[in-house]
Amino acid sequence: MKVMPLLGYALRGLARRKAKATVLILGLASGVALLAAVLFMTDALRAQADRLRLAMPEIVVQKLVAGRPSTLPRAFTSKIEPIPAVRAVRPRVWGYLFLPALQGNVTVVGVPAGVRPLEQVQGTLGQGRDLVPGAHEMVAGATLAQALGLLEGDTLGLPSLGGTAVPLTFVGAFSSSVDLYTADVVLCDEADARVLLGMGPDEATDFAVDLTNPAESSVIARTIAEGTPGLRVLEREPMARIHSLTYGRRSGLFFVGAIPAILALLLLMSDRASGLSREERREVSVLKAIGWSTEEVLYTKVFEAALTGCIATALGLFVAYGWVFWLGAIGLRSTLAGWSSVYPDLALVPAVDPAQLLAIAGAVLLPYVGLCVVPSWRAAAADPVAVMRGE
Amino acid sequence: MEPRARRARAFQARPVTIALAVLALPLVVAGLSVDAHYRRTRAERAQPVTDAVAVRLPSPDMALFGGARWLRAPTLEEPGAAFADGPGAVDPDPAGGLVAPPKAIWAQVRGAR
Repeated sequence: MKVMPLLGYALRGLARRKAKATVLILGLASGVALLAAVLFMTDALRAQADRLRLAMPEIVVQKLVAGRPSTLPRAFTSKIEPIPAVRAVRPRVWGYLFLPALQGNVTVVGVPAGVRPLEQVQGTLGQGRDLVPGAHEMVAGATLAQALGLLEGDTLGLPSLGGTAVPLTFVGAFSSSVDLYTADVVLCDEADARVLLGMGPDEATDFAVDLTNPAESSVIARTIAEGTPGLRVLEREPMARIHSLTYGRRSGLFFVGAIPAILALLLLMSDRASGLSREERREVSVLKAIGWSTEEVLYTKVFEAALTGCIATALGLFVAYGWVFWLGAIGLRSTLAGWSSVYPDLALVPAVDPAQLLAIAGAVLLPYVGLCVVPSWRAAAADPVAVMRGE
Repeated sequence: MEPRARRARAFQARPVTIALAVLALPLVVAGLSVDAHYRRTRAERAQPVTDAVAVRLPSPDMALFGGARWLRAPTLEEPGAAFADGPGAVDPDPAGGLVAPPKAIWAQVRGAR
């Protein structure tokens, strides 16, 4: 069997039925693009969360009051520090502050004394410098600084309980490469953060617990929880599962919403499965009458379906990838990634690999081509004279 | 000759056209894989920057909210917290929604307490 001539004939067949082929390709490509875009984005979001998770403390300890996280006294560190394998307990001061100007929350994070300056790693700051402790200075996310129109040296009076907070001088902005995590962040001195968040000098939002051996985290977490009832102990590994669940669920809900599109895709497939058109059957019978074998006719029809499927899948994957990673997933990002009044620059890093792309292509192509075999075989095996007579 | 037949005859399935149609999918898969690899490599090179910023942030969560205004850091706030905003709305976060999260995960979390 000569493959190239049959492929050529199949291509010419598609060109003869240009309208039908175009509709099939566009319909199939739309379905593939929608499904692939959701998968691409979900995987990218999970990978993005993972990228930061590894730098997080092994254990975070919180206090619950009436089922909600509350501040906890710094003195509680003395209950955790003596536990073997605990390297350090760091009380952290952070929280949310509503900015009427933005009609949204910003995340205020207090920087404790003695931490490594941001300038030590090149590229962390997009402009300016790190804050100096005690100087009432702040570093903000690039998007937040832009939204508030902040320039280096500007002072910003943030709302606080009783209006006792000193205005902070804007000295630097995070690099846009970390905007996904820092878009709404205001870094300031720990003392300033306490005043802004209305926290006392002996209070902390939570404790970050560093361990000498991270493998023991579940044992240490249990020891902390049993030693001090009322505390909530979060481990780093379950945090990853929370992200996985969140994005998995959102993509699942999106797929539920996309059921009509998926049904349309199935309809297209069933159209192929239900049989060839009268014109196509007539064409097959002419081919048989002029001497084509059943095998050649069958291969031609399968090649037609495979070419249609290949072109549509390629187009769908290309559109999905471009939509998510080149155009910033317009129309999809707030559904899957979340919302914010200070929306970060959502430059996601692709987590897709050839295996995933081929798996999506295979999941669409194989059933599509498979559904075309039976009606094509029936048409190829039919008596050409009877078909031409319209029997 | 009918116009449609004339158009069909006008379309010549040259070997290059056939090769392009057959190789469209492998070419797209290869091209996207190369672009993805390039972007991942670039992100890995910027990892020290991310790590340096991460130690100052309270959680690994992105600066995006889930179903509620306070839900900025679901890894720290979500387990056990009540869903207050948007009653009747579909909750896309693990604490509620149409389908419960896998029980095994919460059993592990309970075990850690």
